[in-house]
Amino acid sequence: MAAAVRGTRSGAATRRRDFLAALAFMAPALGFVGVLLLYPVAYNIYISFTAWSRFVGYNRLVGFANYLHALNDPNFSAAAQNTVVWVLASLVLPVTLGLALAVVLRGVRGEESLKTVFFLPRLIAPTAIGAIWYYVYAGNGVINTVLRSVGLGGLVRSWLYEPATITPAIIVTYVWQTTGLVMVLVLIGLAALPREPIEAAHVEGASPWQVYRYVILPMLFPTLLVVTIISVIAGFTTFDLVWVMGRDYPDPSTLTLAIHQYWESFRANHWAYGAAVAVILGGIALLITWLQVVLQHRYERTLQ
Amino acid sequence: MSEVAEFNLAAATQAPVPGARRRRGGHVMILAAVLGLAWIVPFYYAVVTVFKSTSDYASGGPLSLPHAIAPIIGNVVAAWQQTQMGTGMANSLGYGVFGAGAAVFFAAMAAYALARIVFPGRPAWFMLIFSGTIFPFQIYLIPLFQMYARVGLFNTRFGLLLAYIAICIPFPTLVLKNYMAEIPRELDEAARIDGGTHPRIFASIILPNCIGPLVALFLLQFTWIWNDLIFSMVLTQDTSRRSVMNTLMVFQGNYAGSTPNLVITAAVLASLPTVLVFLVLRRYFMQGLSLSTAR
Repeated sequence: MAAAVRGTRSGAATRRRDFLAALAFMAPALGFVGVLLLYPVAYNIYISFTAWSRFVGYNRLVGFANYLHALNDPNFSAAAQNTVVWVLASLVLPVTLGLALAVVLRGVRGEESLKTVFFLPRLIAPTAIGAIWYYVYAGNGVINTVLRSVGLGGLVRSWLYEPATITPAIIVTYVWQTTGLVMVLVLIGLAALPREPIEAAHVEGASPWQVYRYVILPMLFPTLLVVTIISVIAGFTTFDLVWVMGRDYPDPSTLTLAIHQYWESFRANHWAYGAAVAVILGGIALLITWLQVVLQHRYERTLQ
Repeated sequence: MSEVAEFNLAAATQAPVPGARRRRGGHVMILAAVLGLAWIVPFYYAVVTVFKSTSDYASGGPLSLPHAIAPIIGNVVAAWQQTQMGTGMANSLGYGVFGAGAAVFFAAMAAYALARIVFPGRPAWFMLIFSGTIFPFQIYLIPLFQMYARVGLFNTRFGLLLAYIAICIPFPTLVLKNYMAEIPRELDEAARIDGGTHPRIFASIILPNCIGPLVALFLLQFTWIWNDLIFSMVLTQDTSRRSVMNTLMVFQGNYAGSTPNLVITAAVLASLPTVLVFLVLRRYFMQGLSLSTAR
């Protein structure tokens, strides 16, 4: 009896000691994340409802005024439209191209070296990539030189200075940089697929295309979903590449919402408005992540 | 988020490909080769440009071969001096080593608590730390700038380092928590019966079993910090404190001194360390993977 009582008491004491130990072990991580990431998120949301601006620092609460200002700001609309282009392009291009490359390159001669070539851009910082591609698109740069030499001189233009071409041009660079990563992720997904259904389909006489379309692609859905979400969120929050390649553009504030946010906050010093744009960007990111969770659940339910 | 992806890279290079090596039709090969060629042109352009003097670059086409090898020396010296890249590299080396080191260590501590200690509400505590990955960086910029300005951390190396540590903690916490959960219970239960404390179990049993992922995560976070542009732009002001990519960005935007050959030389110089790190990283990824598959 006494032993049992002592046992439970020391059990409770152990649990208490374990909990304190766990807290102590988590303390640095919780401290850094809490003070430098989570508190700033809350603080940023608060600022977005004030009339705070740098140097003035006047923090009067103004409700949704900054969000309404965003809706009426032509630069915000232009940046939002370009951001939609970014979302759509990064939804479709890297994933389609990466999937095609993964499927085509598997098993061909020189597979390893070709894979390395496509992955190589991923190893270099976006800032350095932007600096190189800035000159690829320059007046006497690579693209215009190639166009002239193949007799398409009429297409020569200042790619990074014209409203119609700057966003597509930077997206091409983004696709060049990210497709290799998508390809590698798809290859991981392909390698993890069970082999029996694929072999069964081959035995039943399905053509290679039919096997891909009706057997491999459906099984690859979870991989493609994750890859797509990664690529979309990375795409529409891209800063380095757009800033380095596009800041000479006459109105860089219109390039994307991420650039708009930086420009308004740290060039125009409109903190409260910049904070509101950041909240909008965060909202879109959360929405996309939520969509991924929903789609994944639905997929898992159809499997059962 | 792409960190998760890159962590899996070694798996792709190692995983067995189902199905034997097949022969492809000629047209598929040609298509892949043409696409590969298009992919390599920017690299080719960067490499030939590094060997061209400013007048060489202006006189020939951007894709023409350089006349000599020697101009690379002048380019490297000029790019190095004009960008003050030595300062940027030294700063980023410090940010990367101490930032990634501290972040991965703190993440390992948190992961130990979450994976090896039984206490109520563990999923919620984990989500609290992991929620640091779900917001775009833009949401941190203004508050960090403002907080730093108020407490005197703005434009200090220490302040920028603290921000890097915070950003680099959540993802390694996820990876290490999953990894540590796989380590057999018997290992530390024996130690606990002998009266071993948590710090001792952590340091002498759990950490030595996580060397592979610890090194891989360190190199991964080091690369991220080295490549960072925006936090250095927002949280520092003086050239003497900028990250290497920030010095490159400033140089690229400075019309007076920077010609294409010099900017591209600077871009190549700034990228070389992380490319080298990746070569090391691959090996450690494989080591970490073979460790996890062996169990």
